[in-house]
Amino acid sequence: MKHTRCDLVNTYMKVCAGIILFLITGVSSMAIASQDNITSNAVTTVSADTDADAAVQPESVEDRQPAVIPQWSDRSASNHVGSTLFKGKLSSASLEQLLGAGETLFNTRFTSQQGLGRPLATQAIIPTKRKRPARNTFSRTAGIDASSCAGCHNEPVIGGAGDFTANVFVSEGFQHTDFDTTDPQFSNERNTNHLFGAGLVELLAREMTNELHTIRRRTLDKAADSKQALRIELLTKGVSFGTLTVQPDGQVDTREVEGVDSDLVIRPFSQKGVMTSLRQFTINALNQHHGMQANERFGARWTGETDHDEDGVIQEISIADVSALVAWQATLPPPSTETNLPDDWQLAAARGSDTFDEIACNRCHRRSLPLDSMVFGDPGPYDAAGTLRQNEAPELQYDLALLAWAKSLPRDADGRILVPLFGDLKRHEIADNRVSTLGNELLSQRFVERNVFMTTELWGIASTAPYGHRGDLSTLSEVIAGHGGAARASRESWLALQASAQDDVIAYLKSLVISP
Amino acid sequence: MTPATATATFFARTYRRINKGSINAATTLMTLSLCFVALPLAAETTTPVPYPGDVPAFSEEAEAAGITHSYDGPWEYFVGGGLASFDCNGDRLPDLYLAGGENDAALYVNASKPGGELQFTHLSAASTDLQAVTGAYPINLDNDEHVDLVVLRVGENRLLKGEGDCRFSAANANYGFDGGIAWTTGFAASFETNEAFPTLAFANYVDRSAPGSPWGTCEDNVLSRASEDSNQTNLPRYDSPLPLSPGHCALSMLFTDWNKSGTDALRITNDRQYYRGGEEQLWRLDSGQYPRLFGRSDGWESLVIWGMGIAEGDLDADGFPEYALTSMGDTKLQKIDRVQATEENRPAYDDVAWDMGATAHRPYFGGDLKPSTGWHAEFEDINNDARLDLFVTKGNVESMSDFARFDPDNLLLAREDGSFSEQGELAGLALNRRGRGASVVDLNADGLLDIVVLNRGEPLSLFRQTGVHGPHGPRASGNWIKIELSQKGSNPQAIGARLAIRTGNKVQMRRIQVGGGHASGDLGFVHFGLGVAERATLRVQWPDGQWSAEYRLFANHHVVIRRDDEHFNYWFPQEAQ
Repeated sequence: MKHTRCDLVNTYMKVCAGIILFLITGVSSMAIASQDNITSNAVTTVSADTDADAAVQPESVEDRQPAVIPQWSDRSASNHVGSTLFKGKLSSASLEQLLGAGETLFNTRFTSQQGLGRPLATQAIIPTKRKRPARNTFSRTAGIDASSCAGCHNEPVIGGAGDFTANVFVSEGFQHTDFDTTDPQFSNERNTNHLFGAGLVELLAREMTNELHTIRRRTLDKAADSKQALRIELLTKGVSFGTLTVQPDGQVDTREVEGVDSDLVIRPFSQKGVMTSLRQFTINALNQHHGMQANERFGARWTGETDHDEDGVIQEISIADVSALVAWQATLPPPSTETNLPDDWQLAAARGSDTFDEIACNRCHRRSLPLDSMVFGDPGPYDAAGTLRQNEAPELQYDLALLAWAKSLPRDADGRILVPLFGDLKRHEIADNRVSTLGNELLSQRFVERNVFMTTELWGIASTAPYGHRGDLSTLSEVIAGHGGAARASRESWLALQASAQDDVIAYLKSLVISP
Repeated sequence: MTPATATATFFARTYRRINKGSINAATTLMTLSLCFVALPLAAETTTPVPYPGDVPAFSEEAEAAGITHSYDGPWEYFVGGGLASFDCNGDRLPDLYLAGGENDAALYVNASKPGGELQFTHLSAASTDLQAVTGAYPINLDNDEHVDLVVLRVGENRLLKGEGDCRFSAANANYGFDGGIAWTTGFAASFETNEAFPTLAFANYVDRSAPGSPWGTCEDNVLSRASEDSNQTNLPRYDSPLPLSPGHCALSMLFTDWNKSGTDALRITNDRQYYRGGEEQLWRLDSGQYPRLFGRSDGWESLVIWGMGIAEGDLDADGFPEYALTSMGDTKLQKIDRVQATEENRPAYDDVAWDMGATAHRPYFGGDLKPSTGWHAEFEDINNDARLDLFVTKGNVESMSDFARFDPDNLLLAREDGSFSEQGELAGLALNRRGRGASVVDLNADGLLDIVVLNRGEPLSLFRQTGVHGPHGPRASGNWIKIELSQKGSNPQAIGARLAIRTGNKVQMRRIQVGGGHASGDLGFVHFGLGVAERATLRVQWPDGQWSAEYRLFANHHVVIRRDDEHFNYWFPQEAQ
């Protein structure tokens, strides 16, 4: 390639400037790292991430920093989790280190220097540009609506649920990106869920998805061999997801599939049950609520831009940052049943437990689902492009069984862990034309109709009032009476109970707690 | 702007202006010469912008897959060299019918494992092992359950009726079709309004028997509509062909709904090497009417190129297709003047190839600075990032010393801003072979598009896409979805249907067509890349213009849609036992 004289001079000057910058930023990076080591043991490194997009970044994080920035300064930027430290199967010590980083990030009040805000990007899960800059950085409706994960997930402790004041507004972010009303025609208003036991939930979902896909594959093979159409029930962990009809030529009719998407991927997260993994959920939430954009979806690989939201900050969230956040959430202990109760409460709870089954609450709120393995791999097996996938980075593995809380989980006769989630990881219609309390949304979400939600896991329910998808029901009695649709019969049975029997059920539910 | 860039831009603009007007051959040649100088100058002083997206990784494995085939022969086979990719045995995997020139054409049945290495079996039969074949296109001529083949030849063209299980029978006599004796190099088909059987168009090249041949002796092209007898017998009768005169030594043609009217016109690209006073052509084909050329008064402007291949793609999803035209030197990328098209119904185009980085005017690899020779062009989303890319085969005609010898095929990957970036070298496509016809198609049902290139005088290239290049080695690409449409009765493969798929605020459009490329056609699943979208909604505009309801689809699946069925089925390939 030929160069003009000007090009050569420019190149020479850039090289010189680069050397000087390298010397300056090298010193400053060491200074920052040194300070962090003194003040925090949680975040172990500040090295730049080695994400794929790093190769095409026009400037490094350090380029934007003056020589030395004191740790108290508003101008201090993010410390990223070291991408090279955590890979493969983690020891207890490494896991502890990763969890420390995750906890720090979960509690971090992000700043504009770190990338908070998305002036020219919407909350959409597919990177989407705004037509004009957002009027305000913060907005309770269209977002961003929090500077920290812990800003909402904090009841009764960090990682928990949120009061009504922590409700969020779920809009796809393709249209109405500037909505400034809580009118449900523009968004669905949702209460904040707790995250305790989330790792076990994701592992259950993965195993169930695997089993559903195995059923489909085996039926396809059988149909091809027999040259006959076959109809098969989709049953996994005792939960039925309807039936598939499979043709000998490989066609699959999903019309009779129930409670799961037609791709048979159990998506256990969000009240609607539309998020596949903690990783996907985390990336979505970081963008929607904080305007912190993860490279693995909003970086140059998919958007062609290094600063998709045009807030002047690049590499806002690295792969390892997301991994740390996922690990922290995945290892949160599951809620438990409180046994240290007064005798009369214990007796009432025991009676209520029986009644819970008698009126068939457990048809959907299953007391437990069996789990084969507690080894949590990140990334997981069922995420699609835009969320890190298994062949895109070295897999990280940690065994939840290493954690102290794991030892208290019951096991069945086959040695499987019985995850006491009080749910079935299945979607149901939960409102009808007579009882529409829980059908208070107008917008479908990600192909899931407005009256259809995933069964709420009841573990920890005593610690997570208020209730309902919108968090607008103050008592358990109100939310039970609000069940319509597929739960209508149980609701009627509940209403037919004597007041004392109803109290027994409440006593039981109020023993399901998140233990700090 | 640097002086060199300004100079280059000036020449490029001048070239575009002159190309639009009526000019003589000498002026064209002079301008082209200037342009060839100007384009490299500009290229040398422009710092390449890194391509941030996914670059596919291809593995060439024709021999391992069991295909040993090349296209060869004397002067008549300097052009042509096409192939048809379609499913001939009902397993939904594309099989390949390959032209051979003076070698026998060959049918290869796909026995690839899903997502795995490619495997083909040669199926020999008298009906398909034909000589003098220049290209082939799949189409269902008789509306039965089997796809048929139109085989282009130097001499009599052949219609082959699909019998199932990859068997074919000669059908010229049954269909009243006179294959002629011309040198045929292109084909296109369309179901015109209310017609039960397709209208066929054949592109013919030089009339070798005319006095003075080959210079200025171009053969007429042919349009063949099924006669009225067809409806009575329920079999097509092509016994009343119409000459499309004048012919200008056509090398590719395509039925296209250029103005969103619902009525196809016939776009023909012609080789200025042999014609005199010719140009690119667009024929008006109002249903049942005698074809009429668009002329100056209609807004059609002269374009004189060594036209080798046409591809259509709606890059901006506005319903007005863009066209890639391959040539010697720079590839054209034509975008319609939307105002003239909508307000005056005038087919006026701008060449935006330069602005979009799609000229591909000389080899990007190997050091040869001479102009390229382009042949097959095809728009597909090859890296699954939800943007249409452009693949172009390249190769010296035979031994033309003024053109590049080492002339690798182009992989022009689209950027977010609509421009293109050449990534053929990194992708593994930069082989020293003389490419001709091609097919960009998923051969092993893994959602990643593979590429078949028929080379002149050299082995066929079978590029399996194994993923995309990543910092830690090959990795998965973006999400994808593939759609198969069918309808009862006439036109069972829904030729002419439009598919509009939406992910977020983005809409992508495709149209099922038979024609274009360089002597090569595909029929089967329509592929979309979806980028990071894991869901998509699809609407189909069926060939008669009716829009379907919305289909809600999950990414990374094959989808089978039957008209009038509001539901769809997923399809899964049979896995290895």
